[in-house]
Amino acid sequence: MNGLGTKDELCPCGSGLRQVRCCAADKAQWPSEETAALLDEKAGEATKLFNEKQYGEAEALALKILDVAPNHRAALRVLFEIRHAQKRIKAADALGVRLAGLPGPQALRALANGQYAQYLVAQGRHVEALPFATAAVKAAPKSAQAHHVLGVVFTETGAVLAGERHYRQALALLGAEDGMVLGNLAWNLKLQGRLSEAEALYTKALALRPDNMRGTGGLAQVIFTKGDRPRADALLDEALGRWPNDRMLRLLKVMADLACQRSQAALERLGPPETQMPPELLARGRAFMQLGQMQEAIGAIATARAMQRERTGLLYQPEALLPQAERDKAYFTGDRIRPLPRAEAGAFTPVFLLGFPRAGSSLLEQLLAQISGFAPGDEAGPVAELTKAAAGMLGGEYPECLDEMLVGNEAGVPGRLREMYEAPLRAMGLARLGVRFITDRAGSNAWHLGLIKLLYPEAPIIHVLRHPYDLVLSNIAQDRKLEANAQAGLPGLARYFALQAEMIRHYRGQLSLRYLPVRYEDLVADPDAAVRRVLGFIGVEVELPPGFAANSLPVAEPLPAHFAGRTAVHGRAAWRFKPYRAALPNLFAEVAPVLDPWVSELGYEEQGA
Amino acid sequence: MSGTAQPGKVVMPLAEALEKLAKLEQASKLEEADDLATRMLAAMPEHPHILQLAGIVSYRSGRVAEAIERMEKSQALSPDVALYPRNICEVYRGAGRLDDALRAGKLAVELAPEDSRSYFNLALIHYERLELDDAVRVAEQAVAYDPEFAEAHFEKAEALLLAGRLKEGWESYEWRFKLKQAEGMLPKTEKPQWEGQAMEPGKLLIIGDQGFGDCIQFARFIPWAAQLAPQPVVACSAELLPLLRQLPGIGKIVTRWDDAAGFEAFIPLSGLPRLAGATTENIPASGYLEPKPDLVAHWGAKLERLMPKGKKRIALVWAGRPTHKNDKKRSLKLSQFAPIFVRDDVAVITVQKGDQIAQAGGYYGHAPLVNLGPEIEDFLDTMAILKHVDRLVTIDTSVAHVAGASNVPTFVLLPYAPDWRWLLNRNDTPWYPSLRLYRQNAPYQWEDVIRRAAADL
Repeated sequence: MNGLGTKDELCPCGSGLRQVRCCAADKAQWPSEETAALLDEKAGEATKLFNEKQYGEAEALALKILDVAPNHRAALRVLFEIRHAQKRIKAADALGVRLAGLPGPQALRALANGQYAQYLVAQGRHVEALPFATAAVKAAPKSAQAHHVLGVVFTETGAVLAGERHYRQALALLGAEDGMVLGNLAWNLKLQGRLSEAEALYTKALALRPDNMRGTGGLAQVIFTKGDRPRADALLDEALGRWPNDRMLRLLKVMADLACQRSQAALERLGPPETQMPPELLARGRAFMQLGQMQEAIGAIATARAMQRERTGLLYQPEALLPQAERDKAYFTGDRIRPLPRAEAGAFTPVFLLGFPRAGSSLLEQLLAQISGFAPGDEAGPVAELTKAAAGMLGGEYPECLDEMLVGNEAGVPGRLREMYEAPLRAMGLARLGVRFITDRAGSNAWHLGLIKLLYPEAPIIHVLRHPYDLVLSNIAQDRKLEANAQAGLPGLARYFALQAEMIRHYRGQLSLRYLPVRYEDLVADPDAAVRRVLGFIGVEVELPPGFAANSLPVAEPLPAHFAGRTAVHGRAAWRFKPYRAALPNLFAEVAPVLDPWVSELGYEEQGA
Repeated sequence: MSGTAQPGKVVMPLAEALEKLAKLEQASKLEEADDLATRMLAAMPEHPHILQLAGIVSYRSGRVAEAIERMEKSQALSPDVALYPRNICEVYRGAGRLDDALRAGKLAVELAPEDSRSYFNLALIHYERLELDDAVRVAEQAVAYDPEFAEAHFEKAEALLLAGRLKEGWESYEWRFKLKQAEGMLPKTEKPQWEGQAMEPGKLLIIGDQGFGDCIQFARFIPWAAQLAPQPVVACSAELLPLLRQLPGIGKIVTRWDDAAGFEAFIPLSGLPRLAGATTENIPASGYLEPKPDLVAHWGAKLERLMPKGKKRIALVWAGRPTHKNDKKRSLKLSQFAPIFVRDDVAVITVQKGDQIAQAGGYYGHAPLVNLGPEIEDFLDTMAILKHVDRLVTIDTSVAHVAGASNVPTFVLLPYAPDWRWLLNRNDTPWYPSLRLYRQNAPYQWEDVIRRAAADL
């Protein structure tokens, strides 16, 4: 029989329950809590069987109980745990959500939500975990565990300040120092660039929990980012001595090798390629790149990407980006934006550093950070986050809701949004005495130059350009997730590049932006001249400090993660695509039709590229 | 099955098809025309008139090379048809092939010695080649065969004015209101055109009849008119209102015909130079426009914040209104200004308006560039901004007049055969002393012009 299912049909989620007792159940038909409680004894038996690892019997009994009372908490718990252990994710998801949504005492609700949030966190599904982790804290505001989980969720979804707050609440509620929470808080502070605090916390956490392998790796990353590479190396070596088979630690060591140009050592450490996963294969590719072994480099990278496509279905998916880009283009036109109110000048000037990934905006941020009055903001407070706030304040959808600012008392909205932008920068210690300029290199800024224009009408926007072929070549070798999974392959990277470049062109054609393009190739060829040009454009009259191009002058914390890759300015990566194109003539064949018009527009053609 | 019609295929007699093609072209239904022309050429590739019409369609669709190929073939197949060289003469002109255009134009006249249109086309070519005496002479021949041929009169006027023979030129220039494109420029009225006599206050209507640039240029004659007919009413577009308001002697300024009621005589603004007897020697001084002090202060402070220090501020306008009859000759692409952009000592401020402003989005040159156009509300803003630049570099468009009328140092880039107002063989202009003119040495050749201007910045 096709179409409508019968009432006995099993639920497609794979729970093993009948559909009418599972995802298609009518909740109004569920027995009351009192009635369901009549089955508590049987449910207790199921739990006992589960605890005694008699999973088959436990499952059978739980299914029977749930067929009578689909809302029986203990039976649901048993079945959820079994499906989870069986990796029947769809079923576990359905049962977990049902458990979390059951009414009942606060403590039980907190437990169910907290456990389900942890289940999601363990799978890296942090965004999905947010409502459950939040519900757990609301149900049990005194639960250190609930705060801890919410701290993890916030930290891993980029809300680092909120994450820090909940970790600290967890510690306060525990009333004692906990190695795991301290370690997680240390990672949070590391993400904020507060490296010294992170190091101190990691040290304390590892003293409490020396077996915290991830914490050891985190500490090594902190020390590496602070610039003490020998100590980070030693720490990693020691950790690898303890946990020789841990892939995460080994990969961290390989990253350190690559950052220090120890390409051969990295290859040896990675071992035979047959055993390697995509992140390791990509590192292998980068090691070969450093060695100039182009065929081998592209071979390793291609294998990694093919593996990702086959195993996880990784492919470029611009479907969400395209309509938003069109919508923004339609809205942000000169005539429509001119009458909108603007924010007044703030306490400091953001300097927006645009640049496709791997264009060199991090290098420029590092160099500028060495100059008095500058602080490296990296992605501390993306303007993109404010689009939701704008829609909330004004009502309606972004960006059309911005029209509301023309009416009534809403002219103050740009000022309020600017305040929201600045608050985390203050909280993280970026906006402090003596800082006049905070660089902002959030990748999403390219999409939001229109909103930036309203919040900071005269903020400098420095666009780091790099030859498009070099950009796609460099990105394809990185183990880094890009928007729309553009990293999936060269064609996706090329299309993503074109989409972003078109957006920037649109904004620049429609808005008066204080915009300066700077070429990566010029930056690495003559960093002093390029940075002087940037400073002149920003309006800063200052002598560059001696040793500026060595890129190793002290910079006050917070320090962005990319400072881990801080190295003296060099031109090794500029024009890298040329030998690759010579050695592998078809490498860029597929992307040429997309990229060549941009090569020309960006002025690279004239430079004999 | 040979000899039977294919099912669904409609066979149209040739004459009917040719007529249909001509009508589609005249109605500017170019896609349909192109489709029909392609099908007709496929059936009869050697038919001269199909080739001729298909060539016109190609030209109007922007495929100039194809147009020339088709029309040359058409002409070769029917060398005695006067229409063909007459048509291709215009196409060659549009392509900048002035020698070929001249040859075709002369041939058309030879084949149809009484065809006023052929003379007119030839006069256009002589103008483009700066053979102004020939242009006047040939335009007069066109007029001799068709005394009411307004375009030919106007062409003669333009050639005379460009040659600096202003007094003669103004007379023929009066034909401009009989041009097709002039319809609606003047009010429907029984009242007479003013002839310079004294009038009661408020009874003269002065009409800003031409483009913005012309109106700004001729506005200098308003005070002269106001001496004879005090407190004239000036009718103009809303964009010009804040500028013309600055001229002394005006009674009121209106932007709707209804508000102009009560006048006893009217005069187009472009008619004032003739009445005033303007020659290159007696043009009223420029400097009759001034930016508003508050706007000057506002833009000054803004530019101080936005522009890098220690660089020459160069304002730039690269394109005019696309519907202007000579826009193809005068407008450039932003990227063509590369010789300016490579200079280390320059920062660029674009004051371009209109759709072409979008080109600023594709600028990646060395010199910092601030695209101010999107923030510019009107000519008052432009004028205020120009007070804070070292120089304006512009094509022949309204901003050049705004700059000239407010004495801003400006380089104007001109085509080989410029508009009449820029005269010939001089790099200055009696209309605006602050302007320096950079002329093409050959039609459509901008490289050298921009290189010279960039070197002089």
